[in-house]
Amino acid sequence: MRLSTSAIALCVGLLVARGAAAVELPQRWVSAGGALSEWVSALGAQARLVGVDTTSQHPESLKALPSIGYQRQLSAEGILSLSPQILIGTEEMGPPPVLSQIRSAGVQVELFSAQPDLPTLQNTLQRLGRLLGSEAQATALFDGYQQQLVQQQAWVNQAQTTAEAPGVLLLLGHAGGKPLIAGKDTAADWLLQQAGGRNLATHSGYKPFSVESLAGLTPDVLVFSDRALTGDAAREALFKQNPILTSTPAAKTGRVLELDPTLLVGGLGPRLPQSLVKLSAGFYPAESAKATAAQ
Amino acid sequence: MSTLVKPRSLFIGLGLLCVLATWLSLALGPVSLPLLDTLRAALRMLGLPIAGDGLEQAELILGQIRLPRTLLGLAVGGVLALSGVAMQGLFRNPLADPGLVGVSSGAALGAAVAIVGGSLFGGLPEAIGPYLLSICAFLGGLGVTALVYRLGRRNGQTNVATMLLAGIALTALAGSAVGLFTYLADDATLRTLTFWNLGSLNGASYARLWPLLLVTTVVALWLPRRARALNALLLGESEASHLGINVERLKRELVFCTALGVGAAVAAAGMIGFVGLVVPHLVRLLAGPDHRVLLPASILAGASLLLLADLVARLALAPAELPIGIVTAFIGAPFFLFLLLRGRA
Repeated sequence: MRLSTSAIALCVGLLVARGAAAVELPQRWVSAGGALSEWVSALGAQARLVGVDTTSQHPESLKALPSIGYQRQLSAEGILSLSPQILIGTEEMGPPPVLSQIRSAGVQVELFSAQPDLPTLQNTLQRLGRLLGSEAQATALFDGYQQQLVQQQAWVNQAQTTAEAPGVLLLLGHAGGKPLIAGKDTAADWLLQQAGGRNLATHSGYKPFSVESLAGLTPDVLVFSDRALTGDAAREALFKQNPILTSTPAAKTGRVLELDPTLLVGGLGPRLPQSLVKLSAGFYPAESAKATAAQ
Repeated sequence: MSTLVKPRSLFIGLGLLCVLATWLSLALGPVSLPLLDTLRAALRMLGLPIAGDGLEQAELILGQIRLPRTLLGLAVGGVLALSGVAMQGLFRNPLADPGLVGVSSGAALGAAVAIVGGSLFGGLPEAIGPYLLSICAFLGGLGVTALVYRLGRRNGQTNVATMLLAGIALTALAGSAVGLFTYLADDATLRTLTFWNLGSLNGASYARLWPLLLVTTVVALWLPRRARALNALLLGESEASHLGINVERLKRELVFCTALGVGAAVAAAGMIGFVGLVVPHLVRLLAGPDHRVLLPASILAGASLLLLADLVARLALAPAELPIGIVTAFIGAPFFLFLLLRGRA
């Protein structure tokens, strides 16, 4: 008896939810997550975004939108002033009382996991597709993404038959000064592994750089991720501020790679596979050269 | 020192300022509501029979967002300023602020434990989880203050100078513990901690408001009753006790009220600097050092100042928001300097 009642309730609930979704999709979106904003744009719905948080830096055109501030420090009235119909963000979004205020104003609030793995991404894309009314596109986007990562993995496996996985350190810094080293349980660690590198750091999280601990490690490749500078300017700043790095094998052989720091927050984003290809090419220069020659 | 303003006109002025600040805080925000709607919604919430059609948004924003926020601002501003007066009276030192007895650093330590160690408390019941930060901050503030007070006591006497030095030592100790938690924190918790240290009235809800309102009311009713005793204490401890004041009891009350008031304020809104130090000075520059005026006037001035600072905090970068601690110092410090230099000339 009770079971059937709840089953009916469930069915009705689903029908109502379906019906509502079919009738009216949210048209005014506010996004509080860098990768989420990127995916919404990749699904062709950038025009529906009316506000983004400070971590939404890509594509460049998002910076023109009103900024709702940092994702963990949102302001209820600020967001409501954009009269959104939906607020999306990672589970880090908050503070919780503000979210409940926004909900009570009738705005749909959708939380997504920022876990850097494929099942999570699949779930995220499916939900975004449903909410945007472009499910087919979302599925295609995910399949393409998965394909790219599978190819990438195959390439790395192939490369590892001839070359050993290089020892890598990832330095996250601000204009070269006082870099943090990415340890276990970070998005950076996952990225390095996917690209076929072996993270030499054994601590967990991002920890400040200690000259002595570094002397014991011999990284074959250094990856730097600078929040303030890019390209050669960042590279120069890094070595100027941390002369000890010049004695590493990586510096001597010139294997110093750059990684966009915005890839390290908010889960898997659409620009990730490309960056992985670049990193892998730097990790396995011989295989990369072969591939270029074959072409 | 001659006073600039007579107490009567000071109270009228500050009272008007406080009413104005409250009204502005209710009427202004990132969502622009027509003034008439705000007024109608406000009157409806007061129970007047006014037609409610078309007022849903105004009522929601006023009732659920702006009103709790305004009440929080009034209570936090008032109690911080009042505690500032109590501490400056107790230490007979114009540089004293509520942080001196360790309440702020203790609260910061409690907050760091809650934010960074939050995952360790993951098994707590749902009901406590969201309030963990406030509870830890409050208990941290109370605990460190109790320790400072205990260290200042010898042979049944409280030595204010020892208490001051113990406060400095424990503040440093708590600071290093906070530093340790900062080191252990990951990126996300680190930013939460940083923002907490700058304070905010954002996300005020009635559930968090009642304990603070209760504490503020008690402190605001109790401390002004000690105005004469504080005046006597200005002459010195032995002079005060010759005048028949129970100095030990007075000290205990001042420390307890400060710990309770600041602890509750910090637990509700995070660390908001400057108000406790400077508001008493502002009032003193205007009306002289008589605590009978100073205590109640500081409540009004602190509450008004905090509300005005919060207006800037929520409007300056809308739809984003500034931490209020930045605003209080940025507006208040130059204004204080101005008063100081003018007074000297």
